[in-house]
Amino acid sequence: MEYLVHTVVLVSIYAVQAMSLNLLIGETGLVSVAQAAFAGIGAYAAVVLMTIMGVNFFVASLIGALAAGTVAFIVGIIFLPLRQVYYILGTVGFNVIAWSVFLNWNEVTKGSLGIAGIPRPVVFGYALSENAAFLVLCLVSVACVYGISALITRSSLGRVLHAIREDEDAVAVFGYATTHYKVFIFVVAAFIAGYAGALFASYLSYISPTNYIVPESIFALSIVILGGLGSAHGAIVAAFLLVVLPEVLRFVGFPSELAGHLRLMSYGLILIFFMLYLPKGLFGKFRI
Amino acid sequence: MEVIIQIALNALVAGSIYALITLGFNLLYSTTRFFDLSYGAIAAVGGYIVYCLYNLLGLNLYAAIVLGILGAGALGFSCEKLIYRQLRARKASSAVLLIASLGVLLVIQSALAILFTSQFHIITRDLSAERVFTIFGGTITEVQAIIFLSAITIMLALGALLKFTRFGKAVQAIADDEEVANVVGINSEKMIGIVYFIGAAIAGAAGIATAFDTGIMPTLGLAILLKGVIAAIVGGIGNVVGGVLGAFVLAAIENTGAWFFSAEWRDVIAFLVLIAFLLLRPRGILPK
Amino acid sequence: MNLRTHQLTKSFGGVHAVDGVDARFEAGKITALVGPNGSGKTTLINTITGLYSIDNGTVIIGEVRHAKMRPSMVASLGITRTFQNSRLIQQISALDNILLVLTKRNVFAALFERHGKRHLAEAETILRKVGLWEKRDEHAENLSYGQRKLLEVARAVSTKAKIYFFDEPFAGLFPEMVKTVSGILRELRDRGAAVVLVEHDMALIREIADYCYCMDSGKVIAEGTPEEVLQQSNVIEAYLGK
Repeated sequence: MEYLVHTVVLVSIYAVQAMSLNLLIGETGLVSVAQAAFAGIGAYAAVVLMTIMGVNFFVASLIGALAAGTVAFIVGIIFLPLRQVYYILGTVGFNVIAWSVFLNWNEVTKGSLGIAGIPRPVVFGYALSENAAFLVLCLVSVACVYGISALITRSSLGRVLHAIREDEDAVAVFGYATTHYKVFIFVVAAFIAGYAGALFASYLSYISPTNYIVPESIFALSIVILGGLGSAHGAIVAAFLLVVLPEVLRFVGFPSELAGHLRLMSYGLILIFFMLYLPKGLFGKFRI
Repeated sequence: MEVIIQIALNALVAGSIYALITLGFNLLYSTTRFFDLSYGAIAAVGGYIVYCLYNLLGLNLYAAIVLGILGAGALGFSCEKLIYRQLRARKASSAVLLIASLGVLLVIQSALAILFTSQFHIITRDLSAERVFTIFGGTITEVQAIIFLSAITIMLALGALLKFTRFGKAVQAIADDEEVANVVGINSEKMIGIVYFIGAAIAGAAGIATAFDTGIMPTLGLAILLKGVIAAIVGGIGNVVGGVLGAFVLAAIENTGAWFFSAEWRDVIAFLVLIAFLLLRPRGILPK
Repeated sequence: MNLRTHQLTKSFGGVHAVDGVDARFEAGKITALVGPNGSGKTTLINTITGLYSIDNGTVIIGEVRHAKMRPSMVASLGITRTFQNSRLIQQISALDNILLVLTKRNVFAALFERHGKRHLAEAETILRKVGLWEKRDEHAENLSYGQRKLLEVARAVSTKAKIYFFDEPFAGLFPEMVKTVSGILRELRDRGAAVVLVEHDMALIREIADYCYCMDSGKVIAEGTPEEVLQQSNVIEAYLGK
């Protein structure tokens, strides 16, 4: 039972991150390989606030998310106006740099040692130390993010994003400052990813730079590709599938490190397979 | 003064490796118009093949190097034939190809990590017997000198191949307009396969050089690719000479920065250089 | 509001696709742009609307000279256009394609849309006019060729612009659709807009155009009323080849 709770918690957190990436790739066509970096910024910011200054989880995670959003604003302004390949490269490079900062800024992040002893959220004086209680917070988060995603997608803003996906120049001719829209959704996605990062950190009570390497961003990407572009519920289903899969590997008895590598390899294979044979993913509404 | 010489020597060695990556990547991009993000991983494979054959299996060093280069070339050729060619035939968008290459990157990296662990490896040799040259007060090891000279040789050979042979002219034709090239009787499919082999082999050479100079890990691929692309942007996209120039400029800036700050910030410096150029001089140093 | 070009030039690798074009598109008139394929008509429109950068010359809108045009400026200057190969947003519905140009352009206004009902009513009016209201929920890619061209026209009309560029809007349309579109063009003209029409059908041009330019190899080789232009020998030669 504990194990089931643990799995659902993981699925929820990854689902939140995948839904944020879906807003970028699925709705707007902006391939980003940096969601893990923004999760890391949100996580480290929140964790430092919680461990050193004793700020409570909800305020700390909000500030963490804002930090991620702010960095995204700067990164977005620089890279989003560029041609697609340079922009994508920029997100990859940014992830590499962010990880490098997490690894080397020892004064704040304690480098490869990581930060331990991260407390669980406290709600009205009651600490969510039981995983089951934490799970409730996770499910609420999933519902909220799903709601935000739906609000954006069904609004006029969503319509513009879908149009930008397909033909940015045509949209620009009809009077839209497309970069503004792209920066906006980039920041929103980073904000949500930052929150997911803080949530994850609080759950594990320990974070280290290895959580935020480029392969983790590619993992987030593979969830969205599997689930299908433009589908928030697809992202949730895919998160479930891709989190459960490696757990199965560990069950079968592979040693932990080997299982870790096999996990990443399987995500790579999924990306290749889906690009070749199922570019729309499981529930996708759009082709990439 | 000695510091400057030393930095310059370091930059020459590092720059020559980056230049190989830039050239190879540029070669592939100009013929296929596709950003292969797995290109750097193929470099890592080259390095690992040599490490495996020479350090682990005791094979003759030169044989190992030749096999390393050929192995990398074969891997690149296979990826193109099995995956990218199919996607191109379906007129898949560049984003699809890019995501597929991310999948390939992940698969290669994980495979290397499974086979060789994620630890750092350097191709060991008898360091005490290695000669060291002193040039104007700066030192350079025998291996570094060999790396530099080999890289220059490869670059000149590639340049000659492209400029003076029929093969090279056919490649230029495909780079200008693939459809037209086919119409005049050039078998672009076969040519692209060969070009991919050559490009991948060059990457393998760069990876081997890195394995000798600073060592390799499975995650080397992405980092070195980023350097190569940054070099191309700094030097001027589309301009081959510019790419090479950019590689040396990037290496010089990196090494200067690493001397005054610490070596771990090298990646951050490279990224900041990229941002600076994208903002202030997006066309790079040399015009197209 | 008039739109003029002064010595407008756009080259691609040494070839002058648009070569020193002086043209005047007046408000309250339908101006036709004719010429054989490759004469530079679409390139002229692309350059005026910012899709291509101007190499030389200026675009003068009203009294204001512009040496640079970018796509995002175009709408705010009161210009709109259709594309020769319709550039609709294929994976969204016909209705969404229209609503796209009706809603506010600002990010936050788009997020918290307050005029949904009004926009829907406007969209209904224009879609009914071109006979596409029943197909409003179809993805644009599932419409027939003719229906897509009508949707392009409807989209342009919805912008309530002052200067319209229609690039071969009649190509491939059935006769009733042709009537609908020419009716729309006339209505725009009567309301004082400057309407520019790229077209090959000479009979159609004689019927609805007030003024006419003929282009060949990037240059304007004739201008005047359609009757005058279509009778000139160099125009006939340009079409038939020398």
